Parts: sequence; structure tokens; C-alpha cells
Amino acid sequence: MSHESSLMPRKGAFGAYGGRYVSELLVPALDELEEARKTIVRSSSFKREFRETLREWAGRPTALTYAANFSKRCNMQVYLKREDLLHGGAHKTNNVVGQGILAKRMGKTRIIAETGAGQHGVATAMVGARLGFETVVYMGARDVERQAPNVKRMQLCGATVIPVTTGSQTLKDAINEALRDWTANLGNTHYLLGTVCGPDPFPRLVRDFHRVIGKEAKQQWADRVGGLPRAVVACVGGGSNAIGIFRAFLKDHDVDLVGVEPGGRGLESGEHGATLQKGTPGLLHGARTSVLQDEFGQILEPHSVAAGLDYPGVGPEHAHLRDIGRARYVSVTDDEAIEAFETLARTEGIIPAFESAHALAYAMKAVALGDYEPGTRILINCSGRGDKDLDTYRKLYGHRIGGAAQAKGTES
Amino acid sequence: MSRANLDAAFAAKKHHLSPFLVLGDPTPDISFELAKKAIELGATMLEVGIAYGDPSADGPAIQRANLRAIAAKATTPVALGVMKRIHEAFPALPMNLLVYGNLVHARGFEAFVQDALDVGASSLLVPDILFEEGEQLREVCKRLGLGHAELAGPLTDAKRLKRLASTIDAYLYLVAFQGVTGARTGGSDAIGELVKRTADRIEVPVCVGFGLSSAEHVASVYDAGARVAVVGSHLANAIEAGINAGPLGKGKHVVAAFEKAFAPLAETVNRYA
Ligand SMILES: Cc1ncc(COP(=O)(O)O)c(C=O)c1O
Repeated sequence: MSHESSLMPRKGAFGAYGGRYVSELLVPALDELEEARKTIVRSSSFKREFRETLREWAGRPTALTYAANFSKRCNMQVYLKREDLLHGGAHKTNNVVGQGILAKRMGKTRIIAETGAGQHGVATAMVGARLGFETVVYMGARDVERQAPNVKRMQLCGATVIPVTTGSQTLKDAINEALRDWTANLGNTHYLLGTVCGPDPFPRLVRDFHRVIGKEAKQQWADRVGGLPRAVVACVGGGSNAIGIFRAFLKDHDVDLVGVEPGGRGLESGEHGATLQKGTPGLLHGARTSVLQDEFGQILEPHSVAAGLDYPGVGPEHAHLRDIGRARYVSVTDDEAIEAFETLARTEGIIPAFESAHALAYAMKAVALGDYEPGTRILINCSGRGDKDLDTYRKLYGHRIGGAAQAKGTES
Repeated sequence: MSRANLDAAFAAKKHHLSPFLVLGDPTPDISFELAKKAIELGATMLEVGIAYGDPSADGPAIQRANLRAIAAKATTPVALGVMKRIHEAFPALPMNLLVYGNLVHARGFEAFVQDALDVGASSLLVPDILFEEGEQLREVCKRLGLGHAELAGPLTDAKRLKRLASTIDAYLYLVAFQGVTGARTGGSDAIGELVKRTADRIEVPVCVGFGLSSAEHVASVYDAGARVAVVGSHLANAIEAGINAGPLGKGKHVVAAFEKAFAPLAETVNRYA
């Protein structure tokens, strides 16, 4: 395979990644959005409404929790940034509040979104209800089945959920379908993209709405712990919660930035979503980024137990941070993530999202891997809560409920 | 070089009808038969696509065509093989290749353009490498001698249109509707106006596609100044009907359904010639 190694994106590039790899027909929409990003998003009245909505509707700031018991399991000192406490149950709400207010001020009357696990769809439906939009959520038909409770939540908030039956019927197809809808309806419609992927300006727009995570955490850390964490750890699907918490520490070169990718059934199995570790440069959903693809450039189907990490691409800024060595990307398997999910629930009474459990699982093995000394202080982004995952957990691992530790003992 | 086929065709004849075929839909052999049938009926150019699993600019009919070709294992080399057969059978026929960016990117620009030339392509249009991002690819096309086309749409303004047109050496592909590909009914007045406005503004030949499904559509875009009418979804629907009409075999039903859908349009262009 000879990927076009010399291709340098022009629009909104992060080194060799990013850009606008979309049809000409989307240009008016992207130009309009970029203009709005420069004017509306930077205005003080927008910033005020954004801040107030996050505080009064979404429940910011979220707590920084010292996880004393979980820390013992990790042999490190682990602090959790509690995005699971945000309204809607995940960090996704930051972005939808930002884009929702923006769309309103742009005069749009309809918002559309893609969703995989349903978290972004739920967040979009909630903000659509609050701000009075007609809301349409595209969701792969297979995901509609896998994540039925979230479909109900979206519908309860008045959104229309459209199952996508083309292609592999998962997240990537839902994004394709949302792009198609946007192309046809760009006059009255804003595409509320759910992560730091997509054509310019989305990666920057979404990142900036999530910066609040890192900003708060850094301040809370300074007030409570003092100094800086040795490492900041977050799971990476599209990469929005990770960029959101990384950004505040980007210039603090003593702070490691660690992104945890879904290792699925193992990186060698081919069934994973470790885009940054196993992907190659490619064009997906409007950006040049690291992509899981075959030798001809056909996009491959990823796998993760966490539907929100089940994506064959990744935000272009992460590919850049990887290349320049500012962030490091590791992976944990489905099983390791599930063990961390159970462990946090049992030791701290916090049920994390399967996605977030990937970041926690890395912490559980970092000392054993020799990455950090025992006792190291780290900050983990607990990007969401695990209520949405209970059905899947019951189905796949139900035999472990009521005795996870013992069941594990007899299994191994 | 096959690039010259396009110039020769434009010089020889004012109006062209160009079916859009996904190479390998429903199988590589049958897709060759469809190309043959189209030419026999009066197609004077061919738009050909390489199947891609994530065709985000295409509507349901062409999405399904892509998936059928993928199911028939029409990878990039297989698709190029079909083009080669068509080129050998019809060496003067202009073939314009429409292919999603990641397939070109994965092969490498230089290698891909060379492959396309080797199988007789006249021009290349990559719908998802936006003009601003396309400089490197344009440079390779120019250097190796493959024609290069750009997309424009109903909302592309005059200034941008001129900028796009200034780099084009094949044709401007005008998308007749703001949306994704798909056969439409009605609406020729609006298309006509758009085509006229566009053709008046630029010197390069205008090719119109997305949604043309009737002889009336084709006539109206010619009357408005288009040189090429591309028919895609309408034919993809016909192929699908042919598949559903009976066992696939050597493609008897598919070719028949294709002929039924294409012949009335071909008659129009024959009247214009
Ligand atoms: C709780 C949670 N964390 C993480 C993710 C992954 O997205 P990202 O990498 O953009 O943060 C999701 C996506 O659905 C999610 O729901």
C-alpha cells in the first residue's frame, strides 16, 4: 500500500491531518459554520450563554474525585474528572450545548446528528428539546437494536430516530447518512457532529466546546492536590473527551497525555478499534486522519465492546499529537475494560461507561507495564456513566454479577 | 493517449449522453455487457465509478450499486480490469472515472493516475477531494496527462465557479440538485435555469448529472447549454429491477431492464446529434 504520504491538508490542518475532504456541495455549509465559529462563538454574549447553560442546565462544574480504593488496585493515586455526573450522563453534553446555542444563533430550525452508542443522540435530543429544534438522529440499524434504551430516551425528548440500514449499519454509516441529509437541507439544518472528527471546522469547534473539562480539572487539581498530575488519561473513540481534557495540559511538558484505544479482542486479532496504533493515513468523513482500512482504501469495520469507541477513524488532531510525540496512545482489551468497569463499581460505587472503563483499565495495568512508579498521581477522565451499558453487561457478563471477584477467580 | 478521446468527442459532437456505471455492478462481466449495450444504444461517453463502501455523496440507489459491486469482489484492480476491457473494445470512447478520494489516496496519487491512464481513462473526478485540497492531485493529473474535472452545485457562486473552471481541462460536472444522487421526477425548469446560468459563466464544457431520469430531463439540460447528460441512479434502479426479475446468470434480465430504462434517453440524444 502506498498511501499518499505527501498529501498535506490545507483547511484547518493539524500537521498532515484534518482538512476538508467533502463534496463541493457542502462548501456553503462549512463556510457558514466557519464564519459562525469566528464571529458568534467568539462573542461575549455567546460565551456567557454557553457558560450559564452548562452551569444551570447541565450541572457544571463536575467534581474531581480522589478514588482512594480504586487507587489501591492501581498502585497509583487516581483522581477522576467526573464527566459521568454531567447532565445526560457523559461529556457529550458540553459539545451539544455549544453547537445547539450556535445553531440557534445561526438561525437554524433543525438539527441532525449521528449516534453510535446513543449518548450523543440523547444529548442532542435533550438540547433540541430545550432550544426548540426539530431534531433528527441517524443511528445504524444494528445500534438501534443494541442500544434500545437510548432510542427511547431520544424519542421521549421529541427527536426522530432514523435507523440507517445501508453499509454496515453502524456509526460510520450513520455519519454518512447525516452528511447526506445535511447536503440536501443545509439551509435550515445544522449538523451537530458528536466528536472531534469530520471536515474542518468541526474538529476545532467540538474541541473548543470540550476544553472546559481540562480547564476545570487543572484548576481543581491545583486547588486540591497542588502542582500537576504526572499523566492525564482518557479513552479515545473519535477523541472528544480526550482532547477536551488534554488541551489544558498541552504545554505542560512534564504531564504525559495518554489516550486509550479500544483493543477489542486484541490488537493482533484484527477485531479492535485501535485506529491510532493500527491505522494508516486515509480520508474518512471529511478529514485526513488515521483510519482502519484495507489495502485498497475500503474502510474496515472496527470492534469494541464499547459502542462509543467502535469507530474506524479518529480526530485528526490526535493523529498529529501522536506523530509529534506529544500524546501517547495505548490500548486495553474488552475484557480488561470490563474488569475495570466492575472494579470501579465495587471499590468506589461509581459505574463508569464502558468507554470510560478503557481509561480506567489502563491505570490498572500502568505500573505493571513499567510505565509509572507506584504511587504516581494521575488524572483520568471518567467520560460517562455506565447506566446505558447495563443491558449489554447483563447479556455478556451477567454471570459475574453478585460475585465478580469470585467468578473471575474461578475463570482464570 | 485516451485524454485525447475526450477532446475528440467534444470536437465531433455537441451533445453527449453518458451513463454512470459502478464497475462490477452487479458483476464485472455483466457490467462490461452493460457498457456495451449503452454504447450500442447511443452513449458516446461513459462515467465509471469504482465501488466504495462509504459513498457519502450518493443516495440509496447508487449506494446499493456500490455494495453490489463490493459483494461481487470488484476491488480497485478488478474495476480497472473492466475499464480495460471496455477500452479495448471501444478504443475511441471517452471514459471518465469518478472515484472517492480514499481509494485514490490508498494507492498513492501518482500510481493511481498512471493505473487509470493504463486502462484508458480520459479524466478523473474525485467528488470528495475538495478544490482547496486538490492541488497535488491536479498537479499529478496534469503532469501525467489525465484530464481533470471538478464538481459544482446549485449553490456554487459565480466567483468560485470561475476559480474551479480555471483549473479544469476536462469538464465541469454540475450537480443539478442540492443533495445526493438519486433519480428525481419533475423539476426540469429549475435544472434548466441552473444549467444555463452555469454554462453562460464558464468556457469549459458543462456536464450535468444527479437526478436525470427522463428524456425530458436530458432534453432540458441540452437546451440550457449542457454538453453532457449523465444518467446514474435511474440506471442503477433499472439494474436492481433486472436483478429482481430473475436469476442473474449472464445478466439477461439486467441487460434487458437496463435497455428499457436507457433507450428512451438515448433516442433523445440521437435526435440532438
Ligand atoms: C461516555 C463516552 N465516552 C467516550 C466516548 C467516545 O467519544 P470520544 O472519543 O469522542 O470522547 C463516548 C461516545 O459515545 C461516550 O459515550
